Amino acid sequence: MKPAASILLLTTLTGFAYGLLAWLGLYVATGTPAAARLMVLSGVGVGLVLATLGLMASALHLGRKERAWRAFSQWRSSWLSREGVAAVLTYPIVLGFAWSELRDPAAGLARVLGVAAALASLGTVYCTSMIYASLKPIRQWHNPHTAPDYLIYALFSGGTLFVLLHALAFGTGAAAAALSALAALCALIAKRIYWRHIDMQTPLATLASAIGLPKDTPARPLDAPHFTENFILREMGFQIARRHAAKLRRITLGLAFALPLSLSVLAAFELVPLASSTLAVLCAALGLLTERWLFFAEATHVSALYYGRRI
Amino acid sequence: MTQVPTPAPGARKLGLVIDLDTCVGCHACAVNCKEWNTGGEAGILPDYDKYGEQPDGVWFNRIHSYESGTDGHSRTVNFPRSCLHCENPLCVTVCPTGASFKRAEDGIVLIDTDICIGCKLCSWACPYGAREFDEDNGVMRKCTLCIDRIYDESRPAAEREPACVSTCPAKARHFGDLADPQSKVSRLVEERGGVDLLPELGYRPTNKYLPPRQAQIPTTPREAPARPAQGIGAALLQLLDKALSR
Repeated sequence: MKPAASILLLTTLTGFAYGLLAWLGLYVATGTPAAARLMVLSGVGVGLVLATLGLMASALHLGRKERAWRAFSQWRSSWLSREGVAAVLTYPIVLGFAWSELRDPAAGLARVLGVAAALASLGTVYCTSMIYASLKPIRQWHNPHTAPDYLIYALFSGGTLFVLLHALAFGTGAAAAALSALAALCALIAKRIYWRHIDMQTPLATLASAIGLPKDTPARPLDAPHFTENFILREMGFQIARRHAAKLRRITLGLAFALPLSLSVLAAFELVPLASSTLAVLCAALGLLTERWLFFAEATHVSALYYGRRI
Repeated sequence: MTQVPTPAPGARKLGLVIDLDTCVGCHACAVNCKEWNTGGEAGILPDYDKYGEQPDGVWFNRIHSYESGTDGHSRTVNFPRSCLHCENPLCVTVCPTGASFKRAEDGIVLIDTDICIGCKLCSWACPYGAREFDEDNGVMRKCTLCIDRIYDESRPAAEREPACVSTCPAKARHFGDLADPQSKVSRLVEERGGVDLLPELGYRPTNKYLPPRQAQIPTTPREAPARPAQGIGAALLQLLDKALSR
């Protein structure tokens, strides 16, 4: 599948944003010192700005941007519509949470709204993941890994941001950094399991079954319908050389997960916490963009069979 | 509404039956489809870089040619590919706007291009590659089963069929109601063992394909393999050949 810049930006930015909002919500829910109020409120600001940027980026790939509002109507069947509705509903919940934090961080209301904000944020990420997980013609997406993985990456990337905010506010934050390191480890393991899964999958169909012949009949293309690329080939026939994919997988493992993991461990031991948590955010951002690019580039679509492509 | 409607009892299931045995791969159906649909009410079907190096455009129907079977027993299979108007159309349910819909009365899957936001998700949901994006208008396009022909009462009844069907010189394309077991298309499917494409994906296409028939008479390759020449004449010719090719 063609990796479109707008969608890579959308899923990566909203991952950071909703992950951070989830961390902040849970942080307040577990009882925070009054001194953390500024940190929580600025964190909410950062989260909402990043989420808004991501959602705006997603509108860039629409053919008719002025009609984007129509996408909220079909939440009964469409995960894309549900994502939009969830994203919009998350705003008042998160703003309510910020308001209760401003009023009295220790009050029960702030704690309840903290949990609600975390759930709404993760719910939006879940809807995004289900857009991909529900697409039957793409085996690399339509599997039980996609949705949990998106949630794990959101919690991991939001965690790096949370640790940075904590370090900015208090100078240190051993507990948060340790949790963030744990999230990075989970993300790393989840990605390796996902790659192992898609490498072992068998293609969903054969060219023979795609053209109505018995499944195991040998078949090969003689003449394509057209000499140049068309929409189907550009969008669904994107291919990446195995050699390049292997290299990018190593870059992803190192940049997206291993480096932030090591940097979070450093921060957990209160060694240069500010510098290491800043670097962790940058590595996670670049690494997750690479990871998301690969998520698209390695995905194959059944319709590419008609053009003799391997799926 | 992008939920798939439950067909009313007695509702029709309009679709195509395509005979892979007789299709000659001439592309006439694709050309007439383009011709009709670019002049229809829904507006032109765009072409890009028309006279340039990389011409491209939106087509509802694409004709592939494949070779099936193994060496010595292989055959050409010409294969027209278009929307199959599935009974379980994921392209409809993923649509966030309600632009992509399936009609309850006849099962035709359509796009309301006045509502479509051009998110392209429906094209990702279709395993048959039947939807193509209209870059000029920023919306998705697809086969309409020539809805503006089949219900056009100003046409003689015999002409109320999709453009691709009416133009096929090999009579490989048939149009009709697949819900009616007595219809011509249903009987064809019954007699010839019509099949679904990609049945393993569970989209339950309405359109059916009639598989190529097995050859009834054993055929031998038309060109006999060259036999090595023998005798004194052949030896002389070989000598001459060698001398001349020096």
